[in-house]
Amino acid sequence: MKRQALLGRIFTYAVLGIAVLIVLFPVYWMIITSLKLPREIYRTPALWPQVFTLNNYRQLLDDKGFLDNILNSLIVAGCVTVISLAVSSIAAYSMVRFRTRFRGVIGRLILFAYLTPTSLLFIPLSILMARLQLGNSLYGLVLVYLTFSLPLSTWLLQGYFRSVPRALEEQGMIDGLTRLGALIRIVLPLSVPGLAAVAIFTFTGAWNELLLALVLITSESARTAPLGLNYLITSDVLPWGPLMAGAVLSSLPLMVLYFVAQRFMVQGLAAGSVKG
Amino acid sequence: MSAARAIFGSSETRFAYTLLLPVSILLAGLVAYPFGYAIYVSFTDRVVGNDGQWIGLGNFRYLAQSPAFSAAIQNTVVLVVASDALKLAIGLGLALLVNQRLPGRGLLRSALMLPWAMPAFVAFLVWRVIYQPIGGGLNLLLTASGIWPEVVDWLGQRSTAMPAVIAASVWRGFPFWFVSILAALQNIPLELYEAARVDGASAWQRFWAVTWPAIRPVVIVTTLLSSIWTANSFENVWLLTQGGPSDATIVFPVLAYFGMQTQRIGEAAAVSVAMLPVLAILVFAGTTMMQRGEEE
Repeated sequence: MKRQALLGRIFTYAVLGIAVLIVLFPVYWMIITSLKLPREIYRTPALWPQVFTLNNYRQLLDDKGFLDNILNSLIVAGCVTVISLAVSSIAAYSMVRFRTRFRGVIGRLILFAYLTPTSLLFIPLSILMARLQLGNSLYGLVLVYLTFSLPLSTWLLQGYFRSVPRALEEQGMIDGLTRLGALIRIVLPLSVPGLAAVAIFTFTGAWNELLLALVLITSESARTAPLGLNYLITSDVLPWGPLMAGAVLSSLPLMVLYFVAQRFMVQGLAAGSVKG
Repeated sequence: MSAARAIFGSSETRFAYTLLLPVSILLAGLVAYPFGYAIYVSFTDRVVGNDGQWIGLGNFRYLAQSPAFSAAIQNTVVLVVASDALKLAIGLGLALLVNQRLPGRGLLRSALMLPWAMPAFVAFLVWRVIYQPIGGGLNLLLTASGIWPEVVDWLGQRSTAMPAVIAASVWRGFPFWFVSILAALQNIPLELYEAARVDGASAWQRFWAVTWPAIRPVVIVTTLLSSIWTANSFENVWLLTQGGPSDATIVFPVLAYFGMQTQRIGEAAAVSVAMLPVLAILVFAGTTMMQRGEEE
């Protein structure tokens, strides 16, 4: 029996070890390629570079203006997060606290909106944005990103708000708070972990989006980070070094964020199934 | 009693609807209206600069005869079935292993979640580099270790392009399954396993009697959601192969995007609308499961 347990343990660690290696290798390759000279990328590829260089980063930031792309991404993702949180927290509060007649229907419609894929909406949205004169602008991008961020954050926040005891709110209202006051003074502060998780999911969703940006944004100055990198690979020469430098710069902030807030993320995931 | 009051009732109810107003207006304008408009446009011969006319099923008739469209149907089915089956198998297997009482378990869990934290566009660009015949990491590993001596252009040939897209999609997508299933596993009371062991149940019997019933709802919801997302994923194919070589990896969203690029809006809309019937079933089942899960 003991021997069997030991063998089981060895098997477990062997499988998990291989899985971790497969998971880590692409991350390693991204970082190492971003630090290689061109000749080591193309002519003599190796697991460990002979010379480390920051040239790829310099090239990406100086020649390709990638810093502007990152800034655009930050602006868009930041605005989407703020608007989404504001609009969806009052909606989620209403869904959780009031038993209105159309509550079930509205809840269902929000889920429908959440599951309606971007691939179905990108054509009409581009026509709509052109008509609103928001075609090639970051404002337009913020607006269309609400299509996926609003349903998701409303759905997730309902789960968090439901766990705030109603009695606390009623106590606050006896003490003279209005409904809105109770939401702002009692429910929101108690839901900070949930709000943080939803903010991170929303930010990530907007930060990662490619298809709508590709369709809407035509001018170089309004490109977001994924768009900037996308246009690096549609050119004739494929600059792997700068491309991987861009990959590192675009994923580093998010990966740090996820590791700091991992506990919230997993809870949030369990609460409402979030796309990665 | 005024009419408005008859419909909306007390001031409390009015307040409840007021709070729902912004989200309703935004989703009506940004999801419901475009959704209907996409269906309408798919029945017209709209091109850029010309709104076009109603041509009934013209676009769909054209698509039915287009080789790229049949390729897209076939590829989308292969991509969804293969990658979601693999994600389930890998996610479930790893979750069961990590769910044991192991030293270093937290660290292993964090490491296995890493692809989920990586933006999808970054993940697929990195895999594109890894698959390269010159300077790619996969060929380097295979030739250096002697597993496969020849350099392979993984994304450049028909036979390997789709498996390569699937592998990269599984890499990026399995953590979602892993984390969801692990969360469900951790909610199973240990006494249930003890009781089953006392009754003399084998590991296999314990899985089917205790574990599976507890994780089944999560597996079903995840399968539905993941199928919808995989069937509509654009980044993986676009950044790895752009649908090539010669349509070997073309899928619905990429085909629709190409239609948009060639300015044939009606046709492009028809491509995405064509998958609506299947999608509608998945979405309906998904929302039902999610709402039921919420009520429990």
